[in-house]
Amino acid sequence: MKTKTLSVLLLMTTFIVVVSFTFSKQQPKPWNVPEKNAKMANPIKSDAASINTGKASWAKNCASCHGKMGKGDGSKAAKLTTHPGDFSAAATQGQSDGALYYKISEGRDDMPAFKKKISDEDEIWSLVNYIRTFKK
Amino acid sequence: MKAHTTLYNRSPKAALVLFCLLGCLNFLNAQDSTGVKEAATEAPAAPKKSKPVPNTFENIWLLDNQSVMVPTKGSFQLDFMHRFGTIDGGYQSLFGLFGGINIRIGADYVPREDLMVGLSLTEYNLTWEGYVKYAGLKQTKDDKIPVSVTYYGNMAVDTRSDPTGGLYPHGSDRLMFFNQIIIARKFGDRFSIQVAPSLTHVNVVQGYYGGDTTADGKSVLGKEMKHDHFAIAFSGKVKLNNTLNLLLNYDQPITKHLTNNPNPNLSAGLEINTTGHTFQVLVGNYRYITPSRNNYYNNNDYKDGQWLIGFNMTRLWNW
Repeated sequence: MKTKTLSVLLLMTTFIVVVSFTFSKQQPKPWNVPEKNAKMANPIKSDAASINTGKASWAKNCASCHGKMGKGDGSKAAKLTTHPGDFSAAATQGQSDGALYYKISEGRDDMPAFKKKISDEDEIWSLVNYIRTFKK
Repeated sequence: MKAHTTLYNRSPKAALVLFCLLGCLNFLNAQDSTGVKEAATEAPAAPKKSKPVPNTFENIWLLDNQSVMVPTKGSFQLDFMHRFGTIDGGYQSLFGLFGGINIRIGADYVPREDLMVGLSLTEYNLTWEGYVKYAGLKQTKDDKIPVSVTYYGNMAVDTRSDPTGGLYPHGSDRLMFFNQIIIARKFGDRFSIQVAPSLTHVNVVQGYYGGDTTADGKSVLGKEMKHDHFAIAFSGKVKLNNTLNLLLNYDQPITKHLTNNPNPNLSAGLEINTTGHTFQVLVGNYRYITPSRNNYYNNNDYKDGQWLIGFNMTRLWNW
């Protein structure tokens, strides 16, 4: 009887572990940015006005997935197929402004193409400036 | 004693006004474009293009009115709007929440830049609305254009059942038209205001025999209200934080009618925004949701405490 109970427990544990690994968040696959886009210079100076614009846009458009401080811990993050990543880390902060602008504008998979949602290009550049404030 | 009847006016006046207004906006836009082209030919270096001021308002709705905004090309939006009963019923109607509810479901689409078209159905008198909205001018960051100007035109059809034809002897009697020029300006990051004069045209009005007669002895039919009604709306937005706005709105009737003059509307609300959703909760006097009916028939009076609670919910998709 005891052996049977142990076997059932072991089977259940194995099942949970297998299911957990199967449905865990996928790590981001490489996202190549065309060279000309990556080299684009940010035309918006990172001053207080731009940071405020970026912060407001972040609260409205980004925080629900990426979290208030860009840690990838927004309220919708758990529903995403791909983990939104930690924007304070070098993986994001090491990218050029042009690359970040391209990714925000074009989107991919879970990430919407914000060029369709934010009509003002300057606002997207301000978002890039705001993302820089997450740097550790 | 008044003998009531109805008077008809099926002239294409409303359509004429609509096309005149659209023509004016196109003319203004063309003037601006021409100016840019001329500057380009005079100076070999490409002139710096004026950029429009973004987010004067966050949604196409500004409580009971349309805002100056038109979403980006390809946007599709669903609107869900509720107006509850007036709060003066007290606990018996749970301050209006359990009585006299009016609901509107609408769909809006932007087929080309600056032009929105829409269709909606409102519960009150099963009113279908078809509408167009065109952003003719946009305030620019360099202040070359100091205000945004948008035209909004709406045609409403009362589709409630009338098997005997007693209510509406002619199909066109069911129509109402609403034309509005919306002028708005954003001041800094936190404050936007909007002024919107409007003209409502109602095809059929109540008439009466007041005892006057013509020279040949025939009774003169008077009109209780005019077919055309002018009004003006003042609205504003105060940004409280990055996702929360305070909205204020006041609608003042201008045209004076013989009787049944509509009351002004005062409303205030809070607006919460995300990328796709906007939620506005408000307290005001308008209950009909349909703009022509709100402006022409509002009998709720804020001085008598006839306030009601309502909300607007929208979901926006971009393709």
